[in-house]
Amino acid sequence: MATTRTTTRLWLFFYIPAILILSIFLLYRSLTALPAAAEPEPLNPAWYTLTTARGSELQNKPIVGNCFICHAYWVPIPRSEQTSKPRFAHANIVLNHGKNDRCYNCHMISDRNKYVADDGAGIIPQLPEKICARCHGLIYNDWLAGTHGKWTGMWQPVSKNDRITYTCTECHDPHNPAFKYNIIAPPPVWPEKYIRSKFEGSHSDPFSNFFIDEEPREIF
Amino acid sequence: MVDSDYFDSLPPFEDETQTELSRRDFIAGSSIALTCLVATGAALSPLLDAKETPSVDELIQKHYKQLSPEDKKTIFARLEAEIKRDYHVDSKISDPQPMDGVEYVYILNVGRCIGCRKCVYACMEENNTSRDPQIQYIRVLKLEQGTIDVETSSHDYPENEAADPAYYYMPVQCHQCRKPPCIKVCPVKATWMEKDGIVVVDHNWCIGCRYCEAACPYHARRFNFSKPTIDETDINPQMGYLSNRIRPLGTMEKCTFCLHRTRVGKYPACHDVCPTGARKFGNLRDPNSEVRKILKQERVYVLKQEIGTLPRFYYVFAK
Repeated sequence: MATTRTTTRLWLFFYIPAILILSIFLLYRSLTALPAAAEPEPLNPAWYTLTTARGSELQNKPIVGNCFICHAYWVPIPRSEQTSKPRFAHANIVLNHGKNDRCYNCHMISDRNKYVADDGAGIIPQLPEKICARCHGLIYNDWLAGTHGKWTGMWQPVSKNDRITYTCTECHDPHNPAFKYNIIAPPPVWPEKYIRSKFEGSHSDPFSNFFIDEEPREIF
Repeated sequence: MVDSDYFDSLPPFEDETQTELSRRDFIAGSSIALTCLVATGAALSPLLDAKETPSVDELIQKHYKQLSPEDKKTIFARLEAEIKRDYHVDSKISDPQPMDGVEYVYILNVGRCIGCRKCVYACMEENNTSRDPQIQYIRVLKLEQGTIDVETSSHDYPENEAADPAYYYMPVQCHQCRKPPCIKVCPVKATWMEKDGIVVVDHNWCIGCRYCEAACPYHARRFNFSKPTIDETDINPQMGYLSNRIRPLGTMEKCTFCLHRTRVGKYPACHDVCPTGARKFGNLRDPNSEVRKILKQERVYVLKQEIGTLPRFYYVFAK
């Protein structure tokens, strides 16, 4: 009858203080160790402002149509080693346009401000697509239709100025047409706690790699 | 020897069933009760620092489709006040409606993309996504030439690996499917397809179960694990209720083709910023639009065609 009276619940002496200490510790930690939310830095404006693929290179180019400054008939070009070879005079130009490696294929001899058409007539420098269309006719047609090239503004233009179209030389360097765009934005930042780790879920057991194969890569 | 009368004179031995509380049981019971109290307090203590406490208006707010124009006006005013309180920015929340006879289609010329990721950051800037933790709608996959194998692709290649001629780059964002799996799984119908084909989320109706994120085969949906953090100067004040307003904590968000821009006739932000003109956007039902001409002339393909989502986002290898 008196047997239950004599048992002492000795485990409570360890259990209760342990839980008490643990819960006080949790309470203390949750009240104190809150991470201060740091104000994120604004994005670099170069990552989202509009530039064409020629971009920064175009800003340093001389204005087209200024060839008169040297090539006007009233300005005698001084005869020297440099000016007798046009490739040296225009040393900043890198010519890498395939088989089209002759200046006067496109530039007009008699009027340096203009480009030359198929029949020898001049093309004003404000319409460079006409000279490009001599060889790249299919792409020129695509460009007219809007399927090649870049349009910005409105897809449903109300007035004429609502849609901005870009011409060939605003994206391609005519002497070196391949893109050389150099504004590259950084990769995404994935915080460690949002990435599914290797040992998570069913693979949380350290021996799971022994029994089960490694977890497959996340496939998108 | 003790007299037997002595035992008889003692009171009878009481049974174990005592009614009074013993000292030992009191100490044990009260310490257990105290422990339970402290443990409950410790478990609930993060609520003291909760940043998002829903107001009564927010709790009784109806579904977007049930809102009258007067309801919308008061709700937008409340949201603008909340944004002013939390982010110190004067915003303007609008709600453009879909146009008649318009179905938006996106076409991406993979042959032109150089992987510069400017579309990703223009999207972040336009759509007010969280900066830390970072939320980006567009992932640019880097794939080897001669294969369309997304399993071996990488979407976090460093800057110096862009524009590599041995690889090509395929940006992936929400495909605005005609049969979207994300809508089917939503238990509260917080996401639906609009008349112009854009799949939208009512961020105030969303319960944050993330089923749609799991259902999306393109990994196009993002979850706000924390309250979005944006620098004040970076916030785009022109906000749409269904698209780019600053989302509350614990809700899903996704690409909406910038519907606050496209429904007033503008191009999306990622389209405008692309330096190479690889992105084409337009109205599928307009026979003169550039997307219609590309779909007519070029050989387009869609990502994961075999799963039958019928995306409105096409890829093309063209000049």
